[in-house]
Amino acid sequence: MSEDPQTIAPVQLKVSGKTLALITGGGLVAGALIVLGAIMPAEFNTDPLGIGKLSGIARLWAPDEKKVDTNTAGGPLAREYDTPLRTDVIEIPLTDFLGGAKGSELEYKVAMKQGATLVYEWEAVGAKNPDDIGFDFHGHTTPEPGQQMTVASYKASRGVSQKGALTAPFDGIQGWQFSNFGDGAVVIRVKLTGFYDLVPAGKEGNLAGIVANVPAAQARPDFKPGQ
Amino acid sequence: MKPYQLLLALGLSLLIASPAFAHAIGGSDAQFVRNTVGADPFPFLYLGAKHMVTGYDHLLFLLGVIFFLYRLKDVLLYVTLFSLGHSTTLLLGVLFDFGISAHLVDMVIGLSVSYKAFENLGGFRKIGFELDNRIAVGGFGLVHGLGLATKLQDLGLNPDGLLPNLIAFNVGVEIGQLIALSLILVVMTFWRTTKSFGRLAIAANACLFLAGIVLAGEQLAGYFLSGAK
Repeated sequence: MSEDPQTIAPVQLKVSGKTLALITGGGLVAGALIVLGAIMPAEFNTDPLGIGKLSGIARLWAPDEKKVDTNTAGGPLAREYDTPLRTDVIEIPLTDFLGGAKGSELEYKVAMKQGATLVYEWEAVGAKNPDDIGFDFHGHTTPEPGQQMTVASYKASRGVSQKGALTAPFDGIQGWQFSNFGDGAVVIRVKLTGFYDLVPAGKEGNLAGIVANVPAAQARPDFKPGQ
Repeated sequence: MKPYQLLLALGLSLLIASPAFAHAIGGSDAQFVRNTVGADPFPFLYLGAKHMVTGYDHLLFLLGVIFFLYRLKDVLLYVTLFSLGHSTTLLLGVLFDFGISAHLVDMVIGLSVSYKAFENLGGFRKIGFELDNRIAVGGFGLVHGLGLATKLQDLGLNPDGLLPNLIAFNVGVEIGQLIALSLILVVMTFWRTTKSFGRLAIAANACLFLAGIVLAGEQLAGYFLSGAK
């Protein structure tokens, strides 16, 4: 390879025909297994070998979310419901931002039927600055694994209070993700009145296990700051 | 190939082919490109460089190309050929609105990785098929450029300022390639001086071969199974 013309053609390995066949054959088989057994179930919801279901990889697949237009309302302005009217006050304790995602961020939603309305008011008690709290007011359906999720985004912003009304665009859960960016602990006091159901602790929408209608100190029994 | 080498190859390929790294211009970058009207060269320069540095399929091919290139002169020759190839199709493809399915292009890019690995293993010499390396690298450069062009087109570029933005993107691709190549070269040059190079060169190319097959298979599945083009 000291000759100039030869350096144009790069050096190649010299492997036996058997090794070469093993590498290419093995590569093709292993590659096909990876694609058929893992990538196709996880990415394309297709499971030709059944490995995706067996290994649980197939559960990774989820369809794209379907977004709902939240600015145009439909339906009559006067409505009647079978469900009783309820009123709740939910006190959500949040640590300062140093408390990490577990302490300073929390999602709280309630379950609503399509067309049901609730009136809300929330405020961050103890917040020092008007932009200490980040909130994302949104809702979504609770689909089975692999089914499409319908989402509606109402408002994502910074602030320390919000009041208004919401009519659910679909059967699902509606509520807020709160994040405390301030340097002191706060309590988010959410007042709700309307036609909805509280989500049981540990279920999607209330994974933090918030207890309604108790003071903030007792509202989150599974979490103590500093844990 | 020994069992542990096969395991190594498998693990590496899974890592490389992990769809978490799926190689497209996405998210806020896609939003930016769609919303850009008029010449905006520096963001496009950055996007081009980013696309290349994070484009593991392009990088694996380059790794295969320079695997046995010991002299800087040769490295420059092949990289220039590759760059000429992909610049041609990137510019012409977008300007003349020519492109085929991104999945199919990416499949060929995956196969180009396996091609190069097979060649490094001496496979083509063994089966008596000799294609001039310069043609192969230049040709695959054309395909890689077509992939870039297809992805840019999918984003819906605004015709206002198209040419300057495109050239900026292309220059960015070259810069990104230089950055990535320098890193690969440093690592390769160091690795070649160690004893492990001789032992692991075969395994490394077997890994490349497998990674290429997985990439190609993933794109083939995407072509047939996903609704998107």
